[in-house]
Amino acid sequence: MRTKIIAVSIITAAFMILAVQPALAHFGAVIPSDDIVTQDDHKTLDVQVKFIHPMELHYMEMARPKQFGVLHDGKKTDLLGTLAAKKGKSPDQDQTFTFWSTDYQIRRPGDYTFYVEPTPYWEPAEDLFIVHYTKVCVNAFGMEEGWDQHVGLETEIIPFTRPYGLWTGNLFTGQVLLKGKPVPFAEVEIEYLNETPGNINIVLPPADPYVTQVVKADVNGVFSYAMPKAGWWGFSALNEAEWTLTLDGQEKGVEIGAVYWVRTRDMK
Amino acid sequence: MKHVNCLLAVLFVVLSASGAALAHKVNLFAYAEGGTVFTESYFPDGRAVEKGTVRVYDSTDQLLLEGKTDTEGLFSFGIPKIDALKIVIDAGMGHKNSFALKKAEVEAGK
Repeated sequence: MRTKIIAVSIITAAFMILAVQPALAHFGAVIPSDDIVTQDDHKTLDVQVKFIHPMELHYMEMARPKQFGVLHDGKKTDLLGTLAAKKGKSPDQDQTFTFWSTDYQIRRPGDYTFYVEPTPYWEPAEDLFIVHYTKVCVNAFGMEEGWDQHVGLETEIIPFTRPYGLWTGNLFTGQVLLKGKPVPFAEVEIEYLNETPGNINIVLPPADPYVTQVVKADVNGVFSYAMPKAGWWGFSALNEAEWTLTLDGQEKGVEIGAVYWVRTRDMK
Repeated sequence: MKHVNCLLAVLFVVLSASGAALAHKVNLFAYAEGGTVFTESYFPDGRAVEKGTVRVYDSTDQLLLEGKTDTEGLFSFGIPKIDALKIVIDAGMGHKNSFALKKAEVEAGK
């Protein structure tokens, strides 16, 4: 009887602690208007850079990134100066937040990996700074070359699955790198972008654990996840930086995330 | 019965061949710059289409010129006409594809 009371108390306490913790996962996002450009398509992409809760559609204020560019044919091009500030919000947010966007013209065949290094975001609820190094790949004119190249970010996900032309239900496999080395047993969070263009059925998670899926990588930092719905999916591997930042004279930890976005489509 | 086997074998070969053609889909990309149209022909994995035949047609499907790709899959030619161009790569064995260069793109590159 007594143990039962203790057990109930522990469970109640656990729920209270969990309730205080925001169940929301932050995600850096780089979402292009198209992931496969063919000769019949519009060749100018609208690329949007955001800091969001993808499942809840929530925006967070995003400062101008530190670095934004594209890797194509082994060459990196700096696009930071082309970013323009825009405002966005979810239907249930009562104020708007800054995100960034650019128009990028595809001129040659091959894979284009867009990458961003944001300005560190201060998260008081977690008492740390967040920096999500985020990537997405766009294929152009049928030349499927370049998607597995490393950008050379402090931490990044290297796709082991070609990251475009994916069907709903496909398995996405990637490797988590930190300073160029695999991260054994890295924890990877996965979320569906409810704001996906054309998504007519907004997903309402039946319970909190459905919001963010979690998988662990193997000893080589390799993880997999099968995506159950058409749209954009974000993969985020979080690590703590070896460096710190100072806020009001106090040293604060930095969460660095390697984030990768892929799009799935229904077979029909 | 012998005929049926033979037929099945033929069918199998035909089906495999078309499968292979898909896996080795050939592509051509073109752009106009400084009075020249540059084309590059490649397989999806990035390998160049060597010695492929490139044919250039105008908007009335009139053949304007043809040539061969080099070892890097490249073939270029002076703008033959300010018109929408259809550029076809023929790598043989049914490996064929085309690229449409719009009149505005040709005009912008003259």
